[in-house]
Amino acid sequence: MNEKRNGPSLTLLLGTPVTEPQGSLFGRLKDIAVATGADAGRIAGLVLKTKQGLELVPATEVRSTPSGMLELRSTDALRPLRGDENFILLKQDLLDRQIIDVHGRKVVRVNDVDLQWFSRDEKQDLRVREVEVGLRGAVRRLLLGVVPRNALDMLARKIPARVIPWEFVDVIEVDPARRVKLKIEHDRLAQLHPSDIADILEELAPAEREAILTTLDEEVAAEALEEVEPKLQKALVESLDSETAAGIVEEMDPGAAADLLAELPEERSEAILEEMDPEERQEVEDLLEFREDSAAGRMTPAFVQAPFEATVADGVEALRAFEGSPESITEVYLVDEQGILKGVVPLGRMVLAKPATRLAVLTEQRVISCKADDHQNYVAELFDKYNLRALPVVNEEGRLVGIVEADHVIAFLRDKI
Amino acid sequence: MLRRWRTRILLFLAVLGPGFITANVDNDPNGILTYSQSGAQFGYSLLWTIIPITLALIIVQEMCARMGVVTGKGLSDLIREEFGLRMTVLIMALLVIVNFGNVIGEFAGIAGSLQLFHLSKYISVPICALLVWLLAVRGDYKSVEKIFLAASVFYIAYIITGVISGPSWRTAIVATVKLPGKSAWSQPGYIFMVVSVIGTTIAPWMQFYLQSSIVEKGVSIRNYAATRLDVIVGSIFTDVVAWFIIVACAATLWAHGMGNIGVPADAAEAMKPLAGAYAFLLFAFGLFNASFFAASVLPLSTAYTVCEGLGLESGVDKSFREAPVFYWLYTLLIAGGTAVVLIPDFPLVQFSIFSQALNGVLLPIVIVFMLFLINREDLMGKHVNSAWFNAAAWLTAIIVTILSGILVVQQVAGAWKH
Repeated sequence: MNEKRNGPSLTLLLGTPVTEPQGSLFGRLKDIAVATGADAGRIAGLVLKTKQGLELVPATEVRSTPSGMLELRSTDALRPLRGDENFILLKQDLLDRQIIDVHGRKVVRVNDVDLQWFSRDEKQDLRVREVEVGLRGAVRRLLLGVVPRNALDMLARKIPARVIPWEFVDVIEVDPARRVKLKIEHDRLAQLHPSDIADILEELAPAEREAILTTLDEEVAAEALEEVEPKLQKALVESLDSETAAGIVEEMDPGAAADLLAELPEERSEAILEEMDPEERQEVEDLLEFREDSAAGRMTPAFVQAPFEATVADGVEALRAFEGSPESITEVYLVDEQGILKGVVPLGRMVLAKPATRLAVLTEQRVISCKADDHQNYVAELFDKYNLRALPVVNEEGRLVGIVEADHVIAFLRDKI
Repeated sequence: MLRRWRTRILLFLAVLGPGFITANVDNDPNGILTYSQSGAQFGYSLLWTIIPITLALIIVQEMCARMGVVTGKGLSDLIREEFGLRMTVLIMALLVIVNFGNVIGEFAGIAGSLQLFHLSKYISVPICALLVWLLAVRGDYKSVEKIFLAASVFYIAYIITGVISGPSWRTAIVATVKLPGKSAWSQPGYIFMVVSVIGTTIAPWMQFYLQSSIVEKGVSIRNYAATRLDVIVGSIFTDVVAWFIIVACAATLWAHGMGNIGVPADAAEAMKPLAGAYAFLLFAFGLFNASFFAASVLPLSTAYTVCEGLGLESGVDKSFREAPVFYWLYTLLIAGGTAVVLIPDFPLVQFSIFSQALNGVLLPIVIVFMLFLINREDLMGKHVNSAWFNAAAWLTAIIVTILSGILVVQQVAGAWKH
């Protein structure tokens, strides 16, 4: 534990003289390179500034001496740094930059990086322990060179640290060639709740947002995008190419997708629609026909329906066959041969009933529905009055065309506040 | 077709905002005082400065807007990332002091303008401070921005005052496009006034505020043309207002040889018998609006900028517990500004000179940093400055630097003598 606390910090280590085995000065420590790809997160080597230019040396070939200098074991392991290795350089790419704290689910700025010597195969190796985002790192940086190193180190240790363990750090460095370097593939990020990912996206700059959105799985990206505020949603989709955008929009809830596409310029939304699967495209295009502030503009065409004569077992089958996300379902809708809405069965009643029971028996006494062109304010009123979870939307002939879910209403009401 | 036109107009209205607001806040009580003084002391002979100032303002503001749109990051973010923590802390410390000085100026403006209506400052200032504080903490950004936009419209009060004051239009227009003769330059204090007018029009906080607001608005590069228009329209409108303030004071105070103005409210008071009650009312109302408006923007902008640069949580949509530094800084700036104005016999003028001098120190640093940042291809891609724009921008930077330097020296020397 004690050893753990005494690792060097990046800012204190930078600029340290590096000597050859014989003791003559060889260069100074300029930066520390961290690997990406398979070895992501491991220190690939120390970058030394020498008379010959920048050289990279593995940390195992360097020994820290009691006098606070670094000593090369031999000069054989040195190789020049070409600059196209796709490393993350701790000083250049991490210090002062924004990173994602995957554990704390937010975006923070790096003040310092804590490193740690550890033994490996009887040699000393260096690893990144944690990233400092609090006052301690800041004080260390500000007073460096003003206060003697040892005193500064003592002082800094008195300040409580705010650190993020290295494994929870997600670096989103975009280099000049617009390639994105990632410390980890966004595995941990993808496991966050879509709303948390959305919050993180909102904190970042456009290039970084794009980078993250395109590396995420399409389904995760779609869920996150649904939670992002509309203005930003639009900006994000506009920055993606049509194909990538179509891939994500396809995975979105059709209602949300239609709302998003309606916000885009016409050429752009058409280009995205063009790239989409015909089936999803049709659904979204149908929704785009409606006014945004009408019930139809708020609804989703993804719902579970069953014939009026169906039994509970049939209803369960219909649920299994449902393609959308099952967790949003609260009711099953009964329709006749023409698709006219005949009844609404809450999921709870279905669960409690026997498989052979007819669904028509379980239906609500009075079916509450609204017309496609009803105003959204009216929809909200119905939700309030009848304590609804979902509201079926019917067209002129009474045919079921979609449903409005409670979260859509909440989203719209919050916009109004 | 109809839909396309509607989108276009909506797009412009949606984008009209940050640039327009920023430029307008620039006409704060300090600015109004400077313009009034220049009109009262030197008549129309300082009007020629308006066109070059407008150009300089546009050049500087446009760079900020472009950086905000392309990088999606605030100016303090960029300074932090590219110039390191130490430089950021230094600049932020300077900015807080400078802006605190400005905040005091705004509250002094509120006090002065309401005193014209016989409202004691011990009542008006605390109430306004509370309103300002609530506006940001309890309102959301969208409605706050709408209020600010609406407040910008009230600057028209100055234009009307200018018209009512019955100036000699011909003289005014000629003086705007023609450099004055030698005799004007040899007047005592003339050069100092030129420097002051330029110095008050381009302030360091504006660059930070504008860039952050544009980032907050999430303008994409495709819609940049509209944002640029917003910046240009805003800068021109602001300087048109400045022009009318100078003209109004020239037509009334200067024409009657009343050149001495200490605080902006003096101008309104002096105008009363010369241009009538309406001119007085409009001038006083304009002053109150400008003070209140700037008092709402400056503390908020300072808190945002500092927290962004230092990587602390910020934003009015966060709770007090989530973003403590942001709210404390914001609250302290307002409370401190109010307290200072209410202290009897506080050396207000000296303090304002001190903060103006720091303004002059900070501005060149900020502009030079901006020029370095905006020419970095890895940040800006193909949106770096073009060669001629760079030439114009560097020229602006150099002139502003020299003028700020002169201003600092003059003010410090002046304060020394007192």
